Amino acid sequence: MSAARFLPGLAALLLGAVLARAVELTVGFNHLLVAIALGFVLANTVGVPDRLEPGINTHKLWLGAGIVLMGASLTLETILEVGGLVLLVVVAVTTLTILVVELLARNVFGLADQLGSLLAAGSGICGVSAVVAVAGAIRAREEQIAYAAATVLLFDAITIVVYPIVGDLLGLSDVVFGVWAGVSMFSTGPVVAVGFAHSEVAGQWATMAKLSRNALIGAVVIAYASYYARSGSAGRPSLRTLWDEFPKFVLGFLVLVALASAGVFSSAQQASIENAYNWLFVLAFVGLGTEIQLAELRSTGLTPALVVLLALVVASTVSLVVLSMLFGA
Amino acid sequence: MGSTRLHRGVAAVRSRWRDLERDWQSVAVGATTVAAIAVFELQIPW
Repeated sequence: MSAARFLPGLAALLLGAVLARAVELTVGFNHLLVAIALGFVLANTVGVPDRLEPGINTHKLWLGAGIVLMGASLTLETILEVGGLVLLVVVAVTTLTILVVELLARNVFGLADQLGSLLAAGSGICGVSAVVAVAGAIRAREEQIAYAAATVLLFDAITIVVYPIVGDLLGLSDVVFGVWAGVSMFSTGPVVAVGFAHSEVAGQWATMAKLSRNALIGAVVIAYASYYARSGSAGRPSLRTLWDEFPKFVLGFLVLVALASAGVFSSAQQASIENAYNWLFVLAFVGLGTEIQLAELRSTGLTPALVVLLALVVASTVSLVVLSMLFGA
Repeated sequence: MGSTRLHRGVAAVRSRWRDLERDWQSVAVGATTVAAIAVFELQIPW
């Protein structure tokens, strides 16, 4: 078993990652979307060549490593800084979103449990990062991760256009718009972009609300890991089962959260770690894109998108009403 | 002599690596990255 057989596929992932980043810098498209698109095009046109498969199949390893590193960008202080009221709204909207998606996915649309949970985590916490983190915890299939990630990214693209329009039409204040974007949009990049496009103050509130929401990812991953470890065991749930099913990379993630909270990393080191996990994610998503097979996508249909759309409308409306009541329009 | 020892060392590391669960491999990659950044002040551009 030679390590050399992984090299062609790894080189393909790296090439795709660099290309996706270059497209973002020149054209402005989200690099994660481009990375998935590159993998998707490869898999659905010429197909993935056999000699690339071993290397491309390592993409889950890079996803896990990216999640571990992501812990370094989160601190306990992040939550405390945004204030109790906003934190309360963050927790409430996150819980509402997860519950609505789970309810719709399982009881109304009959989606697979894992796919519903990935959509719930992606919608409720921090977009693709949460999909990736929860995927490891619940042992989701690769195509489920790819569908959930693609669905979340689709709504990232939609909300980045719709939110500023709604904000202007309703004449929302900086605080309400910023927190609203922070608690109800999916991925961090679009939240920050939309917030600062509205105003400097809105951008600051959007970022703080979003980061405190991102900080909930550890608790959600642990909750999902515990739930699936219990439901997946043949006999009585045991500590051993919990440990076997528990995604060990979460421990690495939590260690880095603790180190970051203790101020171990300098700002330069933290920036490098963030850049490292951004590269690991884009690298991994080229591989994930190859898992989206058109034939299977057709059989899945538009149901995941419909589930997320309904949940987004509910969470977005409820949070906007609550925030307008709390802080004034 | 030296190269034999090196080959044995590499083989041992590869064997350990293959025995690790993928989750622990991810942790190892993350830990190595953080260590490289902290020890060598490695700057990773974006």
